[in-house]
Amino acid sequence: MIDIRKTVVVTGVGVVSPYGIGLDRLQAGMLSGKCCLAPTNDLYPGFEGTTAQVRELPLPAKGFSSRHSRTDQLAVVAAQDAVAVFDGASVAFRESGVVMASTVAGLTEIDPGIAHDPAAWYRHGGLARAATYPVARVADAVGEHLGVRGPRCAVSVACASGAMAIALAANLLLDEVAPMIFAGGSDALCPFTLSGFNSLQALDPNRCRPFDQNRKGLNLGEGSAVLVLETLDRAAARNANVLAVLRGWAMTNDAFHPTAPQEQGNGLADCMRLGMEMAEAGPDEIGYVNAHGTGTPLNDIAETHAYETAFRERSRPIPVSSTKSYFGHCLGAAGALEAAITISAIRCGALFPTLRLTDPIESPGVDWLRGEVRRQPLPLAISVSAGFGGSNAALIFGSIRS
Amino acid sequence: MTPNLPDVTITGIGSVSPYGPLAGLISHSKLEPSVIATWKTAGLRRAFLVKPFRPAEVVPGLKTRRLDRLSAWALVASALAIKDAGIDLSQVDRSRVAVVFATSFGCVELTEGFYQSAAANGWSGTDPSTFPETLANSAASHVALFHHLRGPNVTVGSKSFAGESALIQAASLLRHGQADLAIVLAGDTLTRTVYEWYEAAALLSPACYNSEPLLEDSGFVPSEGVTALVLEPEGRRELRSEVSSDARSYAHFRSGRWAAGGQPVEVIRQLLGGCIPSLTICAGNGAPCATSSTTALASEIAGHDGTIVPAQAVAAGLVDTGALLHLILALSAHPSGGQALLLGTSLGASGESGFAALLVELP
Repeated sequence: MIDIRKTVVVTGVGVVSPYGIGLDRLQAGMLSGKCCLAPTNDLYPGFEGTTAQVRELPLPAKGFSSRHSRTDQLAVVAAQDAVAVFDGASVAFRESGVVMASTVAGLTEIDPGIAHDPAAWYRHGGLARAATYPVARVADAVGEHLGVRGPRCAVSVACASGAMAIALAANLLLDEVAPMIFAGGSDALCPFTLSGFNSLQALDPNRCRPFDQNRKGLNLGEGSAVLVLETLDRAAARNANVLAVLRGWAMTNDAFHPTAPQEQGNGLADCMRLGMEMAEAGPDEIGYVNAHGTGTPLNDIAETHAYETAFRERSRPIPVSSTKSYFGHCLGAAGALEAAITISAIRCGALFPTLRLTDPIESPGVDWLRGEVRRQPLPLAISVSAGFGGSNAALIFGSIRS
Repeated sequence: MTPNLPDVTITGIGSVSPYGPLAGLISHSKLEPSVIATWKTAGLRRAFLVKPFRPAEVVPGLKTRRLDRLSAWALVASALAIKDAGIDLSQVDRSRVAVVFATSFGCVELTEGFYQSAAANGWSGTDPSTFPETLANSAASHVALFHHLRGPNVTVGSKSFAGESALIQAASLLRHGQADLAIVLAGDTLTRTVYEWYEAAALLSPACYNSEPLLEDSGFVPSEGVTALVLEPEGRRELRSEVSSDARSYAHFRSGRWAAGGQPVEVIRQLLGGCIPSLTICAGNGAPCATSSTTALASEIAGHDGTIVPAQAVAAGLVDTGALLHLILALSAHPSGGQALLLGTSLGASGESGFAALLVELP
């Protein structure tokens, strides 16, 4: 028997991606098989690689850009999109909370000039730009722009941030700290992260090939996604359109290495198992895994082992794809964007294939989705994320009928 | 709406603060700011600084040579808190131990270092060993790695209320059965770029610029450090206390609430359920301690019936992450029982006053 006061549902999804603004554009782009990854050489002198950028981002308000970072801007536009059909004057809306993830936050606004003489850099226009540095600013930007006054919190757990923001928001919702929570993630491309991943030799100079035996690394992208979470009783009371049910969530840590995943993917497998336990769903009931799937040699093999372990009891291979092959790795936004894609897959009954997956990692327990979009009813799906520092997160979404 | 958080007990305390690295409560003595000598300043500049120490002398076997100060302090503070709680981690299911870390600036020292390498060598010549450590969750992940903690590992930030937020979220993980034990940490390091930002924004107290005794009249004195608490569900602590005299309880964490606006008095009275706290601890978050709006709110809540503990400058200087240090300092100075309210306020961009309130019961 479902307790509707303890059932967390998604009643809004806002997206800014390289496909444009809105989940519909993202879904249409992916269904058409369009890849947004393109050669890039203008992000800093000497960089030549492949990224996916958000073009023509409309500013939410006049003067907005002077005190907000590009990461903030992406977040605010996604949040606006998420609440486009909401009654902004309602008490529930006004008391809403915000939990936003980011890894980059205001680093987009800071340049190496700060290293020489910070005080001089601040005097020459850097003061407001540096004020956007703390990740907390992303949550504040969303909260201020929407005019909500519930709790605000930022989450920064590397590439698992976006999924964790949604998981933590779900916990807070059940604790009744706010009637509704806007949860998601946002990250913009910037020289800092491009340079960092480039220095680690983690970037594929061409379009990435997640889970392929010839994968060479990841591509970076940018974007934001914001989900509106509320409990089913509240959503029903206001006759809201329920897009999906957040059936389960879990977080674990590998405690193995600062950057490398545990080779057998044990932490990630545990995370999926815990998520399924919360969802009261067996491995056979999960119809699709939206994978972390970065395209790096170490991540993808560990992740494959994790699927073998988590779905060992399953009667047939588990369908898996990495949608980072469409528009890259959006870091702190990735988990939220992939949650949005997972919801989209459930709603339209479409399992998105991994692009450019010609020679997949051998794994008898995994049904690698490639080639055409697979059409099938999808009652339950899982989105998984992992990040530097060993953190893992799993979100299990279901259709309202499930 | 009153959140109904679990009955969670604070069973261990560890800190690396301007008082030094300490397990348990902090013997309370007023500190004066130290003169900054780590970087070249334009005249006298003061702050509450952590004096350099060798982590391995505090936690035997601890290797921190490759770590920034935030991560090293997090390891020391967490180890001290676990020891103070009397917990033998070898007897604990470490997949059920969560780490929740509140920070405003994360590993800012290494972020500065990365920018320095970009300034010196261009973006194409940055240091690969530094980059992963610039991530805000590095310190929390080092805590997990050092203690082999495989439960949820979360790093959070929240303007003015990061410490409060971390405590509430850690309690939430325990309540929802997502962990059996939680290490909550809050803190930041003070660097040149941070200090000079405060200075350029005209936020600093006059006490930062002279060697006169600290007067808490305007601005604040920046501070640094990391504080760690061990949280356990009360039932678990009681079970431990049957076999170990080390299973102490500093305070029961009852419930908490934070918001960016609204009616704080109404919400906090609802939280208190009609009681007047015997102790109201003001958590100044970067605000001048004596004139803080928190003090005014505390008076309105507590009236004349309870003790109001003013914000402590050394904790207020941690700005977003000072709540745990405020709490420890207040518990150290006021060991009497009863209900205590940790209260913080902030002014948002819209002019609305944000607030955070944590209700704890002292044994």
